Amino acid sequence: MKGELYLAWRYLAYHRVKTLILTTSITLIIFLPVGLRVLVRQSQEQLTARAEATPLLVGARGSPLELVLNSLYFESDVPATMSFGEVRRIEGTGYALPIPMYVRFAARGHPIVGTTLDYFDFRGLRIAEGTNLRMLGDAVLGARVAEELGVGPGESVISSPESVFDIAGTYPLSMRVVGVLEYSGSPDDEAIFVDLKTTWVIEGIVHGHQELSGSGAAGLILSSDTANVVANAAVVQYQEITADNLGSFHFHGDQGTYPITAVIAVPPDQRSESLLRGRFESPDELLQIVPPIDVMDQLLETVLTIEAFVIAVVVVVGLSTLATAVLVFMLSLRLRRREIDTMRKIGAARRSVGAVMASEVTVVLAAGVVLAAILTGLTSRFGSDIIRSLL
Amino acid sequence: MTVAVAGMLTAVVGMLAACGGSETGDPSTSENAQGSETSMDATVFTVNYPLAYFAQRIGGRHVTVHFPAPPDIDPAFWQPDEETVGAYQSADLVLLNGAGYAKWLDVVTLSASRLVNTSASFRDRYLLVEGTVTHSHGPEGDHSHEGTAFTTWLDPHLAIAHAESITQALSTRWPEHEGDFRDGMTSLEADLLILDSDLAAATAAADSRPIAASHPVYQYLAARYDLNLQSVQWEPDVPPSRSEWSDFQRLLSEHSATLMLWEGEPLTETSERLGSLGVTVVVFDQSGNVPAEGDYLSVMRRNVESLGAALAEE
Repeated sequence: MKGELYLAWRYLAYHRVKTLILTTSITLIIFLPVGLRVLVRQSQEQLTARAEATPLLVGARGSPLELVLNSLYFESDVPATMSFGEVRRIEGTGYALPIPMYVRFAARGHPIVGTTLDYFDFRGLRIAEGTNLRMLGDAVLGARVAEELGVGPGESVISSPESVFDIAGTYPLSMRVVGVLEYSGSPDDEAIFVDLKTTWVIEGIVHGHQELSGSGAAGLILSSDTANVVANAAVVQYQEITADNLGSFHFHGDQGTYPITAVIAVPPDQRSESLLRGRFESPDELLQIVPPIDVMDQLLETVLTIEAFVIAVVVVVGLSTLATAVLVFMLSLRLRRREIDTMRKIGAARRSVGAVMASEVTVVLAAGVVLAAILTGLTSRFGSDIIRSLL
Repeated sequence: MTVAVAGMLTAVVGMLAACGGSETGDPSTSENAQGSETSMDATVFTVNYPLAYFAQRIGGRHVTVHFPAPPDIDPAFWQPDEETVGAYQSADLVLLNGAGYAKWLDVVTLSASRLVNTSASFRDRYLLVEGTVTHSHGPEGDHSHEGTAFTTWLDPHLAIAHAESITQALSTRWPEHEGDFRDGMTSLEADLLILDSDLAAATAAADSRPIAASHPVYQYLAARYDLNLQSVQWEPDVPPSRSEWSDFQRLLSEHSATLMLWEGEPLTETSERLGSLGVTVVVFDQSGNVPAEGDYLSVMRRNVESLGAALAEE
């Protein structure tokens, strides 16, 4: 048997291109449906795990999917905004801990997530380096952001304009990096976290500017009386929040009217959850309250339908490829008629010749199966990272 | 240990010295504070001294109350450094005065779920600050920096509402001690009601007589006891300028005050010049920060005595 195996090996090694093509075909026939299934299952688990961990999401009426993708995965377009006063409304019911979120801006391609410290407790995020947010303008980076940008505590990141044509829009704000989060294996790794109020500074509704009452501001004052000071547009607005100018940052009007994109509502029990949902049932209600898991289940139903279709196509393509491979082997046997005759003439038994041919097929099949298993293993190991990079 | 933290600890010890022994109703000695069985896990931070006093009286041995502002500043206009903000973040509860007090809260990050606005229950009774200045620049139009008067605790009934809110917050957070918290509240409420009746008696003689104030911080006191009060913006340790004296004399021509309330003892030259105008200085300490001597109640009692005596002499 050793001799037959050796001859089969030498044949495959000699016809290495043909062997490589056959092995690759077998590998892909097995790996494509299996790997796809693994990938879909992993993405399903990841999406549902984060959605399951987020009891309720409140946002302005509109697409629930957009709201969930923006608030949980920091993806998709910015949903319609709601007012910060709604946080107090939810808090006032006593049915849930409200965690406001404003996910609208970005810095160097990474989303800026404006929220409160409760978000870190809620998601179980821990600081790996530096401190948590303390002052207006502070930023805490997700692990991957810090890695990709090569930025750490003591350095800074600058918010990006929303559009290159947005000349009169939001000013870029230089934010001081005070901490980096531990790797969490979630979209939080890809985000830059700031205090909710800092996002309002980026938007320009909270700002700091040079003092208008001092003698140094005389050249900036257009008119002044005991109740009102009118300055010209040359008043310097600060683009970086420092210990020196921190005190000059101020809010205008009622903070309750300021924008946020969503509120994560964390009820203590099922009863509170039901009661809170009941508060948003009115047809006149301008807000929607959604359990993210319901939204993601609907999305995954669609994904699973597509998956089944894709796998069916892959299986059909695989079967045709397999048939082609069988044809290749059979044609190969016909082409090797003279070689088989020579083996018989030098004394090889019919069974030994059959064993050589069978060994060649077995080795190719085995190599294909092993490679497919390795690829599936790699998909299983790194699939979640691939999914995260795609989400 | 940094200077900031050391300063904070000093302030805490000072505060405890003033508040210790709450069970006896005589919170005056540091020995009492150190000797009490405080639960080091239950920490409460406050943004001013009155709230710290109320919290210590109500929480007693079950909570450790911290008020980390340095002793020589007005906590309403204080800006804590980063380490102090970190200390606030470590608290189980942070008691806020509300009514726009402590603007620094707008520029720091604290856990919203641990903040308690102790004046939320009487938000509709906030008093607006008069003489708001607006400004405008660039295309944004007018900005108004309007605000509310924030020395709410000078009205003992509002102080009781603060205390009730603190009791509620402590009981929700540590329900196992609710009975003790209620006992502390009952004792504090009794003291504040006595203070209220004393103030009512002391100010009865005022009878809508014009009174001046060196700073616009007595709005709630005036509203509670119907005081006919007009304020200027003077500091006890800064001599008023020539134009400020002119403005004051103009005020006196319309509002003939013979008493002027001050947060602290003014400079001698200021007192003398006020005397020459027929205006008597009365120190009425708002007690926003830890007093050099005594505690919140003793400071308020001194205020009652000073005001009562000054009004009686008129």
